[in-house]
Amino acid sequence: MTGGPPLTCESQTIGPEPAATLQGQAVFHLTGSRSGDELESIEGGTFRPALLAGYRDLSRLRYDYPVVLVESAADGAFVRSLSSIVDDVLQEVAPPGMEGERLRRQVLRLECELRSLVRDGAKGMLSDLWEKAAASLAVDGGESVEQILSHTGARLSVDGEVIDCDHEVPSRLVAHAWRTTQQQKARRFHDEVNRLLQALSDILRAAFIHSEGGRRPESLQAGVGDLHRDDFDFDVMSRLLGKSAPADELPVARRERIEWAIDVLKRQRFFEPPVGTSLVQAAELPYEYRFSSCAETMTAFGERLSELVEFVKAMSMAALEADGRYLEAKHDPFFDAFGEHALTLEDLALFPDYLVCIDAGDTDAAESAVVTEVLSSDLPVKVLVQTEDVLEESSLGAGHFGFGMRSMQLASTVMGLHDVFILQTTSSNLYQLRGQLLTGLEYAGPALFSIFSGSASPASDLPPYLTSAAAMESRAFVAFTYDPAAGPDLASRFSLEDNPQPEFDWPIEDLEYADEALQRVKEQVAFTIVDFIVCDRRYARHFARIPRSQWNENMIPVDEWLSLDPSDVGQRVPHVNVVDEHNVLYRLIVDAKLMQAARRCREIWHGLQELGGIHNSHAERLLAREKAAWEEEKQRELESLRAEAAATAVVEGAVGAPQVTVAGEGAPGPELAVEEAAEEAPSDDPWIETKRCSTCNECTLINDRMFAYDENKQAYFKDLDAGTFREIVEAAEVCQVAVIHPGKPRNPNEPGLEELIERAKPFQ
Amino acid sequence: MTIPVTQCLMRFDEEHHSLEDYQGGVQRWCNGCGDNAILTAVQRLCRDEGLSPERMVFVSGIGCSSRFPHYMSTYGFHGIHGRAFPIAEGVKMARPDLHVFVNTGDGDCCSIGAAHWIHAIRYNMNLTVLLHDNFVYGLTKKQASPTSPKGLKSNTTPRGADLEALNPISVTLGVQNASFVAQAVDWIPEVLYDIVAAAYRHKGFSFVRIIQRCPEFLPKMLEPWLQDPSKTLLLTHENGVQLSPDMARIYKNQREHDPLDIDRAREIASSDDVIPVGILYRNPDIPCYEDLRGSGQPRPAERIRAGLEAELDAFTVWPDDSTAKHAAA
Ligand SMILES: Cc1ncc(C[n+]2csc(CCOP(=O)(O)OP(=O)(O)O)c2C)c(N)n1
Ligand code: SF4
Ligand code: SF4
Ligand SMILES: [Mg+2]
Repeated sequence: MTGGPPLTCESQTIGPEPAATLQGQAVFHLTGSRSGDELESIEGGTFRPALLAGYRDLSRLRYDYPVVLVESAADGAFVRSLSSIVDDVLQEVAPPGMEGERLRRQVLRLECELRSLVRDGAKGMLSDLWEKAAASLAVDGGESVEQILSHTGARLSVDGEVIDCDHEVPSRLVAHAWRTTQQQKARRFHDEVNRLLQALSDILRAAFIHSEGGRRPESLQAGVGDLHRDDFDFDVMSRLLGKSAPADELPVARRERIEWAIDVLKRQRFFEPPVGTSLVQAAELPYEYRFSSCAETMTAFGERLSELVEFVKAMSMAALEADGRYLEAKHDPFFDAFGEHALTLEDLALFPDYLVCIDAGDTDAAESAVVTEVLSSDLPVKVLVQTEDVLEESSLGAGHFGFGMRSMQLASTVMGLHDVFILQTTSSNLYQLRGQLLTGLEYAGPALFSIFSGSASPASDLPPYLTSAAAMESRAFVAFTYDPAAGPDLASRFSLEDNPQPEFDWPIEDLEYADEALQRVKEQVAFTIVDFIVCDRRYARHFARIPRSQWNENMIPVDEWLSLDPSDVGQRVPHVNVVDEHNVLYRLIVDAKLMQAARRCREIWHGLQELGGIHNSHAERLLAREKAAWEEEKQRELESLRAEAAATAVVEGAVGAPQVTVAGEGAPGPELAVEEAAEEAPSDDPWIETKRCSTCNECTLINDRMFAYDENKQAYFKDLDAGTFREIVEAAEVCQVAVIHPGKPRNPNEPGLEELIERAKPFQ
Repeated sequence: MTIPVTQCLMRFDEEHHSLEDYQGGVQRWCNGCGDNAILTAVQRLCRDEGLSPERMVFVSGIGCSSRFPHYMSTYGFHGIHGRAFPIAEGVKMARPDLHVFVNTGDGDCCSIGAAHWIHAIRYNMNLTVLLHDNFVYGLTKKQASPTSPKGLKSNTTPRGADLEALNPISVTLGVQNASFVAQAVDWIPEVLYDIVAAAYRHKGFSFVRIIQRCPEFLPKMLEPWLQDPSKTLLLTHENGVQLSPDMARIYKNQREHDPLDIDRAREIASSDDVIPVGILYRNPDIPCYEDLRGSGQPRPAERIRAGLEAELDAFTVWPDDSTAKHAAA
């Protein structure tokens, strides 16, 4: 841990535990009201969970932020952390070992400076900020340092805007990723449309070249080129070629169909036309796809729908035409009736996705309903719901908590829609989950991104990065993904694995501090939702600070308290470890109201764990049942073995006991014997190992009524009576793979049989 | 999951073919010629994969075997001696969407076309290559080819071939970027079919040497192998050829060989007492030249024309005062 003074304990000696103290703590816990001097209010103080003591100055830490929104990312790396880019630069410019050490240190100082600049509000491209940071370091280090650092800036492999973890991060990062995926989509779209346009214009061009028009002198002349133009008499050439010109150009209906499709494909307004192409020219500006409300998105989609249907129809027609598979009798009626109902999710996925960015604070019940409606409608829409405040007070008024309820409600309703991709996370983790973000954006259906920005907690002193990280760590804002494309069942679709220590109720971390005797103490403590709430002044009244002298055995950590059965709680009160701005460690006890909210948060987490297959109650019950059944079975087996052993002992003792025979197990009856013999008896008929025939034509040439090819072009006897034994023997002799077996002659009167039977012998 | 409406229509209309649909002209090969078996295997593959005849191109050089494209009702290019590879590469580069097959003989590929062969392996373009190896120049009536065994008497080697034969499998395995190397024999049609099918499915230069009988000029040469199945070594593997129980009963000489193991493949290729049959080597990770170099963009007529003009202009002898020259420059 870095960034703050070392963690120390309040230096007070622990005193006795007068009954009044315990009483006062219990009263506070149960009622929230402070009686007595020992219970200090924390209102007006700045406390934070002890586990966050080390993260005071983030600019001195190397972590995921700030990030660079990479421009024209080739490999899907649309965002990079500053640290990873710096590592790349160092890899390239700093020689390994001591030689590169000085340069490495300078560049890492620059990274630190850049981080401070961004924290203080500097904005811009990485390359510019790099220069700026280099210049400011040069104030101390001199010109040579500035030169060296600028030189390293020239080696940056990527550039783009630098953003810190602030309240804009979710919308900017998602929008940037969305633009990247839309660019890829545009490329695929144009490739496909260009391919079709090319194929259609080739059909028209080929028809023209074959037509009378194509054989006119001026067309022929245009085909010869300038240099040799005077060497030919194109009138004569036209007359000669015209004689063989087919009368029929393209049938009118086909020409009209192709020209219509070309026109529609060229007129599209869905994507911006590719730069420098002659094939597609947009008649008007392309459509806008980014909105700030779902209602507007629905309206826009509705207005463009008929154009979209027409475009898909043109593409389908073009594809069939390009493949030469358009059959008027079959396809005309289909395309006459073509409409919205014919579109599939994959058709829609060809077009740009709508991006809707909304603030969870603005999502009242009505807007939530529209969000759900949009997401359930199969529209190609990606919705970002940004949560600014996880700890907002419930609309039921003071004393009721709805922590994270709004986003949780939306996410679970949407999960019930079955086919919507969902990614829920916090800003702090967004960089780590950039891959999932892309997966959601590339998903062929609707997607919901629910992200806690960690920013606008007006009552907290933590920077957004820490607030959002603490929200995830404390299960106040749980990270999960639900990916319908990952498989048919929940086990493949739903994942909680991006949360810290998802198998536990709360993540357990090491807390180190110095006690009054300045000795290092190491404890394992849980980071619970109460640790998160303690950062928020709005809830200060639910805590009371207990001086060191009043600490007692009845004070137990929040997680421990929550794991007790309520009826076993007794006198015990829950406490959290916090530090003040000087990193001095205190204990706060928590009132029952807040603990109730904490319990609920844990229950919700348990529900999610079940969905994620962690401590799944169904699975555990099934396992217990199977185990019981297995044990029962084993028991039975054991008993029967025991019984058998006892029986054998009896039989062995009885020498000469009669042999037991079971009906049907003796020698086969006469019927069975006959059947087996019949199966084995070789047939006298000739036969061919058809699967081994190598299609050499030899036998079919001898007699193609007798030898024929099957559907795999391999020989078999088609008609045994269509030829002689002699022909069969001759075929067997010429068959190089020796797969013809002549059998016995069918006609005993055929001449020369004796010799033929002899010749047939090697092939039987 | 749904599929786009266009694909839906295409599937709706999927055509089902029989072998006859792929049959071009009537074969003019001698009776008993092993080329017939190769033709059947290829036609069966086309039918079973549901390939549209208009999406396939068979390119060949010159020789009996190179008459193959005539017997397929697909597109074809009966090329010039030894030049099947460059032609096929051009077709594939211009039309990567087509399935391109190459039929070449031991003379065509390993003699006059050897330089093209080596580089074609290195390019690793997605071509299915069938080397019809009958150990002789068949079409020109029995001259020794590079694969003729030492001592073979022919019109050009009346006292017997002086040199050791070249082994096309070993050569291919020795060239950089070899990505699929297999050996088949025309007289085990089931395995021939499986190998040709695996070659077709491999993305890259799939080289199949098919040992092919020429009963016209070498009627006795392969008899020992035809008569004694133990002289054929069947290479089996879950990622290679798997034998049916019938075949396994006849061809008992089997060995499990993992096609990823190139060292073992080379060792097997050089065995000279038995004929190894199966997939010797397969590496799906080697990039194809058309993917590295192809633009993937459609080529409008104007662009093709401009390219051709530029190419031809390079060889044009211009009159002294030609204005066209300046215009072109
Ligand atoms: C440039 C050129 N050189 C020589 C020939 C003569 N020629 C035709 S086919 C052939 C050999 C064919 O042998 P192979 O490739 O093994 O085919 P096969 O007939 O055995 O199937 C030769 C040398 C030719 N056609 N062109
Ligand atoms: S002779 Fe033998 S290999 Fe040839 S076609 Fe007939 S059965 Fe098949
Ligand atoms: S000469 Fe040989 S290779 Fe050529 S067709 Fe005849 S048998 Fe086949
Ligand atoms: Mg040959």
